Amino acid sequence: MIGSGPNITAILIFVAFVSASLAITWWAAKRTHSTGEFYTAGSKITGMQNGFALAGDFMSAASFLGVTGLIFIGGSDALLFVVGVVVSWAFILFAFADRMRNLGRYTFADVVSYRLQPERLRVMAAAGTLTVAIPYLIAQMVGAGSLIETLFGLPYFVAVLIVGGLMTIYVAFGGMLATTWVQVIKAVLLLAGATALFLLAMAQFGFNFDALFARAAEVHPRGDLILRPGGLYNDPISVVSIALAFVCGTAGLPHVLMRFFTVPDAAQARRSIGYAVVFIGYFQALIVVVGFAAIALLAGQTEYVDESGRIAGAANMVSVYLARVVGGEIFYGLIAAVAFATILAVVAGILLSASAAVAHDLYAKVIRRGEISDQAEMTVSRIVTVVLGVMTIGLSLWFRNINVGVLATIALAVAASVNFPTIFLALFWKNLTTRGAVAGGVTGLVVVVVLIVLSPTVWVNAFGNQVAIFPYSYPTLFSVSAAFLVTIVVSLADRSDRASTDRAAYGAQVVRCELGPE
Amino acid sequence: MGNESEILRDPEFQKMLARRSRWRWGLSGSLIGLYLAYCLAGIYFADAFARPVFGSSITWVIALGYLIVALAVFLSILYIRVVGRLLEVPFDDRDASQ
Repeated sequence: MIGSGPNITAILIFVAFVSASLAITWWAAKRTHSTGEFYTAGSKITGMQNGFALAGDFMSAASFLGVTGLIFIGGSDALLFVVGVVVSWAFILFAFADRMRNLGRYTFADVVSYRLQPERLRVMAAAGTLTVAIPYLIAQMVGAGSLIETLFGLPYFVAVLIVGGLMTIYVAFGGMLATTWVQVIKAVLLLAGATALFLLAMAQFGFNFDALFARAAEVHPRGDLILRPGGLYNDPISVVSIALAFVCGTAGLPHVLMRFFTVPDAAQARRSIGYAVVFIGYFQALIVVVGFAAIALLAGQTEYVDESGRIAGAANMVSVYLARVVGGEIFYGLIAAVAFATILAVVAGILLSASAAVAHDLYAKVIRRGEISDQAEMTVSRIVTVVLGVMTIGLSLWFRNINVGVLATIALAVAASVNFPTIFLALFWKNLTTRGAVAGGVTGLVVVVVLIVLSPTVWVNAFGNQVAIFPYSYPTLFSVSAAFLVTIVVSLADRSDRASTDRAAYGAQVVRCELGPE
Repeated sequence: MGNESEILRDPEFQKMLARRSRWRWGLSGSLIGLYLAYCLAGIYFADAFARPVFGSSITWVIALGYLIVALAVFLSILYIRVVGRLLEVPFDDRDASQ
């Protein structure tokens, strides 16, 4: 069995990464004295640094390991995901970058509560943040645990403790500054690692793309079918739902939204997303070739693939195995360590967004109604970080056998159905009212959760029923439409006093959105 | 606050707002539209998408996917280079100096 013993290179590189990240945390902790510094690094991150960090936030283990695994199973249908990711980031740049930066301070709740009734919106935004962040955190931690178990030979609970412990230390002590730098280093490592993997794989085919794809089609059990669409999804509703999950979901991820506020102004916000689009586009372009190279080089190799054509060990190990085939033990260790570092950096960012939602939105702004000193809010944030960190570790140990894909689906679908409609309409639609936003948000949340439970992924695969009540794996087409519809109808019907205040403030909001705070 | 309603009525500001909206929704709409068309074409024109590109083993579904990724990157750079700068000049000196 592969990877049953510890790989020395992997351990050395990983220890180096952890030492560097802890040194950064120590350095950042000395520079983090206020809530502004804790949540958004004092808005002093440059566009390029933030671009790396944003790209790092999104180039998670899910894309590095998940997409290559998906190509391995379904061939070219994985391009729906690959293209969707890049399109969604470009959309964030065009539609959101300026307005978000100019309106917000620490969290996206600051943005939606700019003209709407703040307390109710903050409670909803915090609920949206936590329903995205907690499943996402557990998904990453469970994934990390299994990955480390396979690669380093460590027991699962030790792996989860290491990832959870380090994530909590980065965030609690170093805040956004440490989280950003850990993310930047990881993004550079990941881009370099993926480039090396791409080059080594291409070298096996004399840098001939034609030969690589031809070989993949030749050795895959499904043959030519992997190069035509329809391998994974062949009905329009699923495909449109996936597209919506990316386009709307990415723009609703709280840890991504929070990064808008780490740069000084709208111009830097645009620039940072521009960098992110370039890095992510480049990465996605590589990853497709890496996925097909994995088919070409791993299919039929009994050491990695069992007789039914499935990858041995954890499902998402394709890229790591490919690294071993094309680069030997040392390169294998390097890619394994990079995958680990990737997970570590991503969970830190998500944890920070979750603790900001609880400490800033719920505690400081709603429970204490803003009557709290900066120092006290900092202390609360740190305590919340530790509590959430410990809770995530516990849940990850508890849910060890949960399907990681389901959790990731929930996170993106909730972001698309709850956060996105509220943010989008708050920014661009004059008639949005508090009542409409809350009704729409609650509808989105309920519809998305119910449909996921009734879908094949949970109803059949997890609960063991024969037939799913809701036939599609992705609920976003229905849940996003429902959320938009309810928000719009309730807002239009809203004749309350609050509604006129909400609508009247839109003009001032537009001015601030376009010109920035004075 | 009075200042803001003044700015809102300013024809220069309205012109800028209109130009920005055109770019914002023009670029977003065309890119997302293209992506949705790509997704759906994979279902309704599966045979055409499965044809090889110029006799190679690479099929149109892969080539067009790459093309949209490249287009998204290109449009993003264009947006930052041209749109972001041009439209802010009359109103925001900080950005004009970049």
